[in-house]
Amino acid sequence: MAGSFKYGVSTYSYVDDYGSVMTLEDAFDHIADTGATGIEILGEGQIEGYPNPSSQFLDRWFGLLDKYKLEPTNMCSWVDMRITLQRNLTVEEGAAELERDLRLAHQFGFKFLRPKFGVLSHDLIPEPQWEAYTERNLDLAHKLGVVICPEIHAPTPIKHEVVDGYINFIERTGTKNFGLMIDTGIFQDRPLTHWGSHQINDEARKHMEFLNGIKVPPEHFLDVAKYVVFIQAKFHDIDENLEDQNIPWQPVISAIKRSGYSGYLSSEYEGWRAPWRSIDQVRRQQVLLRKLEREYDEGKFA
Amino acid sequence: MLEHQLIQSTGFRNFGPVGAREGFAIRIRIPNYHGTRLSQLDGFDVTVDGVFYDHEINRFGIRDEVYTMAEMREETTARWGLTEWGEILVDKPGGLEPGVHKIEVLARIRYSYFPPDVHIFPMHAERYGTICIA
Repeated sequence: MAGSFKYGVSTYSYVDDYGSVMTLEDAFDHIADTGATGIEILGEGQIEGYPNPSSQFLDRWFGLLDKYKLEPTNMCSWVDMRITLQRNLTVEEGAAELERDLRLAHQFGFKFLRPKFGVLSHDLIPEPQWEAYTERNLDLAHKLGVVICPEIHAPTPIKHEVVDGYINFIERTGTKNFGLMIDTGIFQDRPLTHWGSHQINDEARKHMEFLNGIKVPPEHFLDVAKYVVFIQAKFHDIDENLEDQNIPWQPVISAIKRSGYSGYLSSEYEGWRAPWRSIDQVRRQQVLLRKLEREYDEGKFA
Repeated sequence: MLEHQLIQSTGFRNFGPVGAREGFAIRIRIPNYHGTRLSQLDGFDVTVDGVFYDHEINRFGIRDEVYTMAEMREETTARWGLTEWGEILVDKPGGLEPGVHKIEVLARIRYSYFPPDVHIFPMHAERYGTICIA
């Protein structure tokens, strides 16, 4: 039997509830009560006073980790390539953005940092400068023990030049501090009805065809598994029979298990943002994923 | 804490001297799932009772600062945190009558990781709100 998965939850799951019907400590409580051991956050979201948090806030953060027995997993960040309408970031500025977030992630105990790079096209080809400003930060990432991991997210499939570009970068530099994050939304094979706070109408479907699912074959995960360091378990709607309405979890879990991956599956709910709905949706997904892992280990499916 | 919806009940108010109001304010939470630099916002179109107020003219207030659209577009240091509110300031001599008004906001947020032609992402919200004080 290969290693077991680790289970976490991203506070992104609770968007809109967070700050209105949920405090930071509530989020810790909800996550810990699912049995998850990891917490993923949005840096410029849960870090009060970002990018210059107070020492009181840091104390509070570590106090909550201790009280709820959670470990920090991944911190999400953004490189604001189009810094103003008039100009883009220079390489130096891009490097500084990434450095700022690497240091913050480390300060808060995170082992992974997911930066969102700016993109140039509808299939999300990143701006060419990402490579230069990321390379300048590899030594720092190594020193801090943080792995930088851009996410492979719909509408970009696994077999795509975006992924090839990241893999070439890993091979060329030989770094252990850069890897792929897979967002399981790429495996979605049935249309969404809600995308976050947006109910999807025909107009949105026309412009954002990926909302119907880009249906990446789960087997493709095996081709890139050795570069994958983190998985955001994206989902949108799980019914009371634990049936996911959009993501085909059984073949997805099968492929991930067969790859030998033993890192985090971090729940990332992105469905209808009705108050409090996210809380139980996350609980359902945690149960569903663990049940499938157990059934795979027991040989109930291959 | 904030209300769940974008447009908040409290903070819908007239501004300027009593008897010579200059306009009205709409309090909102951030139209995004994370905090951002102000330069990543491209303003707010407002429609109240069917009257349209253009994002190029409306101003934005956060904490103790007020920004014009031109100032906000170049503000790369100041940020809007996820759990903070801001307010849209709309010029309207005399302000709004006390009572219930239909409010629509189209918030224009910029995402660098969206394709260039659609990187200004509009978020629409509407509701009834109540002006309490003339």
